[in-house]
Amino acid sequence: MITVKDLHKSFGDLEVLKGIDAQVEESEVVCVIGPSGSGKSTFLRCLNLLEDITSGTVTIDGDELTAAGTDINALRTKVGMVFQHFNLFPHKTVLENVTLGPIKVKGLSEKEAEETGRALLEKVGLSDKAHDYPDSLSGGQKQRVAIARALAMEPKVMLFDEPTSALDPELVGDVLQVMKDLAKEGMTMVVVTHEMGFAREVGDRVIFMDEGIIQEEGNPEDIFDNPQNPRTQSFLSKIL
Amino acid sequence: MIDAIMDTPYIKSLPFLWEGLQLTVAITLIGLFLGMILGALAGLGKLSKIKFIRGFWTVYIEMIRGTPIMAQALFIYFGLAELQLNSFATGVIAIALNAGAYIGEIVRGAVYSIDSGQTEAGRSLGLTERQTMRYIVWPQAFKRMIPPLGNQFVISLKDTSVFSVIAVPDLIYQARQYYNATFEQFETLVMVCIFYLIITIPAALYLRRIERKMDV
Repeated sequence: MITVKDLHKSFGDLEVLKGIDAQVEESEVVCVIGPSGSGKSTFLRCLNLLEDITSGTVTIDGDELTAAGTDINALRTKVGMVFQHFNLFPHKTVLENVTLGPIKVKGLSEKEAEETGRALLEKVGLSDKAHDYPDSLSGGQKQRVAIARALAMEPKVMLFDEPTSALDPELVGDVLQVMKDLAKEGMTMVVVTHEMGFAREVGDRVIFMDEGIIQEEGNPEDIFDNPQNPRTQSFLSKIL
Repeated sequence: MIDAIMDTPYIKSLPFLWEGLQLTVAITLIGLFLGMILGALAGLGKLSKIKFIRGFWTVYIEMIRGTPIMAQALFIYFGLAELQLNSFATGVIAIALNAGAYIGEIVRGAVYSIDSGQTEAGRSLGLTERQTMRYIVWPQAFKRMIPPLGNQFVISLKDTSVFSVIAVPDLIYQARQYYNATFEQFETLVMVCIFYLIITIPAALYLRRIERKMDV
């Protein structure tokens, strides 16, 4: 579903990604872990071109992101993104947040969009909040709306950029539950996270990044219980 | 009793001042209307990716902000005398140019103040840059512009007072005519201030209410 080849990304003189090769299969859940500044968020943001790619290629569902003639807006509809700070639209109600994309990008009628929107809100457990504004929601509720908003575009891949890092600890569980359900349904997911429990339980594969490259990857048991790379060992010993 | 009150300069100056006030308000409103159009262009121009457009509007804004409005009015009226603009048109244009520069900064600042995460969220849904601006950034930025725009209204209203130097018969000009004839400077100028305050105080109160409501 996703193929990344020799991906480099620099901000000015600072090279943040120093050659990433990765592959994500359909219905696979890949968790990306690593210390802050390791480039994991940048890597994720390159997957829907929120960051320009300096060199290398990213192919999603057969379309190469940076190839000439690629319609990046069309491509982005295939890739849902959930942000650390939710980035809900504060001037729109919960339901409007979810229906904006389908109406403006996919050209759905308001009625159709609202129907699917309500179904998605139901799915994330927030049907009673449809007409509230984001300001009145808790962090966990906001993040679940953000997930519903991304799902409304019927993406083939979902990217999660530290989706629970800005949440109070007691609110993390609800969000992770929604993500687990999504994984069970077979959604292809790339999750940058500090939730090692989630990575171990839900992840099919874990990628450990540091200093702009993938230091180690494998199934969760191997990475967490028997890391080979000294950097992985040192990172895990600090956080587990 | 009533006759005694009616006979004071406070009351007798009213018809003259009233004429001036109408002109003051007219210049402010027409000038501000044009200024808002100009300001929107200037603000968006300053946000443009094209260097030339950005440069053009930067020069405009800095030139206007760096010179007094009286100099601008004199320049348009006398410096560009071949345009043969009358004093009213000159006043309107000066307010428009002046307010346009400040409103340009208001627009730019408001758009700039919207968190980049909003744009990213819009783009990640597949919205184009233009759609993101229109449906997500602009509505939020517009709300933030309202208080400073109200402030600009008050500033522009007061700015019109300098146009008496180019003989615009505004509130100040009318007052000077009146007290030059009657020598009732104190009473006349008290009324002038009251006239300005009658507009500016409700405007300020109204703005404060909007601000509280919007929580900006």
